Amino acid sequence: MVSAPQELRTGVAALSLRYRIGVALALAVVAVAVCVHIGMVFLHVAPSNTVTKKHGEAIDEWIYPEFEQNWKLFAPNPLQQNIAVQVRAEIHTAGGEIRTTGWYDLSAQDGRAIDGNLLPSHTQQNELRRAWDFYVSTHDGDNRPSGLRGALSETYLRHIVVLRLDRADAAGPGDVVERVQVCSQTTNVRPPDWSEEQISLKPTYRVLPWWSVPQNEAEGDVR
Amino acid sequence: MSRLALAVSRGIGRVTESALGPYQTAVIRIGFAATWLLFLLREFPHRQELYGPDGPWGWDLAEQLIGANGAFTALMWSDGQFWFEAVYVLAALSSLLLIVGWRTRTMSVLFMVGVLSLQNRSVFMGDGGDNVLHLMCIYLVFTRCGQVWSLDARRARLARAARARGERVTDRTGPVLWGVLGLALFAVTVVGRLDGDWFVPALLWAVWVAQALWWIVGRLARTAQPRIMLDVIGNILHNGALLVIMTEACLIYATAGWYKIQGSRWQDGTAVYYPLHLDYFSPWPALADLLSASGTLVMLVTYGTVIVQVAFPFTLFHRRVKNVLLAIMITEHAVIAVVLGLPFFSLAMIAADAVFLPTPFLRRLGDGAARARARLFPRAGGTVPAQRDMDDAPEHTGKPEQTHVGFRA
Repeated sequence: MVSAPQELRTGVAALSLRYRIGVALALAVVAVAVCVHIGMVFLHVAPSNTVTKKHGEAIDEWIYPEFEQNWKLFAPNPLQQNIAVQVRAEIHTAGGEIRTTGWYDLSAQDGRAIDGNLLPSHTQQNELRRAWDFYVSTHDGDNRPSGLRGALSETYLRHIVVLRLDRADAAGPGDVVERVQVCSQTTNVRPPDWSEEQISLKPTYRVLPWWSVPQNEAEGDVR
Repeated sequence: MSRLALAVSRGIGRVTESALGPYQTAVIRIGFAATWLLFLLREFPHRQELYGPDGPWGWDLAEQLIGANGAFTALMWSDGQFWFEAVYVLAALSSLLLIVGWRTRTMSVLFMVGVLSLQNRSVFMGDGGDNVLHLMCIYLVFTRCGQVWSLDARRARLARAARARGERVTDRTGPVLWGVLGLALFAVTVVGRLDGDWFVPALLWAVWVAQALWWIVGRLARTAQPRIMLDVIGNILHNGALLVIMTEACLIYATAGWYKIQGSRWQDGTAVYYPLHLDYFSPWPALADLLSASGTLVMLVTYGTVIVQVAFPFTLFHRRVKNVLLAIMITEHAVIAVVLGLPFFSLAMIAADAVFLPTPFLRRLGDGAARARARLFPRAGGTVPAQRDMDDAPEHTGKPEQTHVGFRA
């Protein structure tokens, strides 16, 4: 605090021409910036259209990385399937044998952690769910990755399942997880009782190839 | 034509003479900062898994992604444990200080640094709530959100009273804070840690320079003119940011609503049933079954949601209808918090909604909060900022004389 408030009372009217020009300049800059920003955000969230097709690059340049946004919340349709990510491991036991574990339903574990929880953690609600979305969106039907993001999503998913297997004590003392296999089980949500809709409730599966786990990672080092 | 000119000049007068919506900007400041603080406290046991250097989204993965997109995060400045813990604690601390409005402008910058650092470090951990905070923490930096309900406002009032008694008031904390943060900013820039996207580093430097300018002009300028000009520019920035915040909230609802209209489930009136029956969003299955037991009720809620979301931006032109819709939306978000297990998303959305709350309501809320506090801590009466600052607030006198609160070293 260095100035008396009385000095501030008067606003633009108290300014000489020089300072008024300063204010006018600032007003113009802010007005333009606000309009451009609002316009860019609008075009970013709008469906693909004539303008976004023509100026997509300029819009992305403005929006990314810090103003990215997606508000299609449960839209156009809410997700109508439960997608469960499951994993099993091939373990090199201390005794020298190779053992394959049963399937661990990690999403079911998340579901149980969320049940009756007023404050679900992002680790329960978002981590695995979004990692799987990330994997699916960066791989084709034959599980071939596309670009850097594809490779990143594979490593990320592997880290998560190895962490979760470790928490479940899948490998005993002295055992080493050598390979993991991830699988997703997609089940339609049962239609409401009051609806006459008939849909199959039989789950469908997507089984990924076995991934080998680097030695250091199996020991908990993800760097 | 002259009427148009008159309207324009009146508009310019309004956006230059004061920082509008002092209560609205204060309530969103408190709302967003509290949402983030509660989130950080809730996730404290999980912090390593979410954002730590050894979490599943490991430091290497983050480095590759950020190398590609240039997002700002202080967490990539070092892969050490200590640095991570320090950033997490500082993010929580700056949120707390922003809530109470201590050095509001500086804290809003640190709050932004905290939010961006953690969220950009692990982008795949977030959801819609994180997205709201991400945007709003940037916009908040441009606002004078500490005009009321803040320690800054209290300090300004005490300083005014002291000066009225003829005492000299010098602020030492401000320059020290400015110096320390400037040193840090300088160091980080020199060692090349701000080489990603230019926007956030430029913003950090701009605020730092602006605070220096504000201080120098207040202290050394021979006339009051430069100071008044800076004050007016502060108002303009604040009002511009406030408009952006309000528009952003409208865009959120408009996008959510208009895209829903295109979905078959929102058309056939069953959409609300489905999220309630997803394993990841049904913490209370029995409650979800109860809520969706009636097809008619589900249809009404489904249609009601779309109608409210699509309609909201247009109701801003009618005060009473806007308030009704606002009450409905805040209620719906409170329900979503529990029923879909999305407490922090809901809190962030309610905080964003709050920017549209009417001033008289917010004033009553502030009075109520001050009274409740006085009742709870009768001895702490002297440190209750809410009540007194309310009496000091611009609205009472009709004179926006508190507009100098935010921008200072």
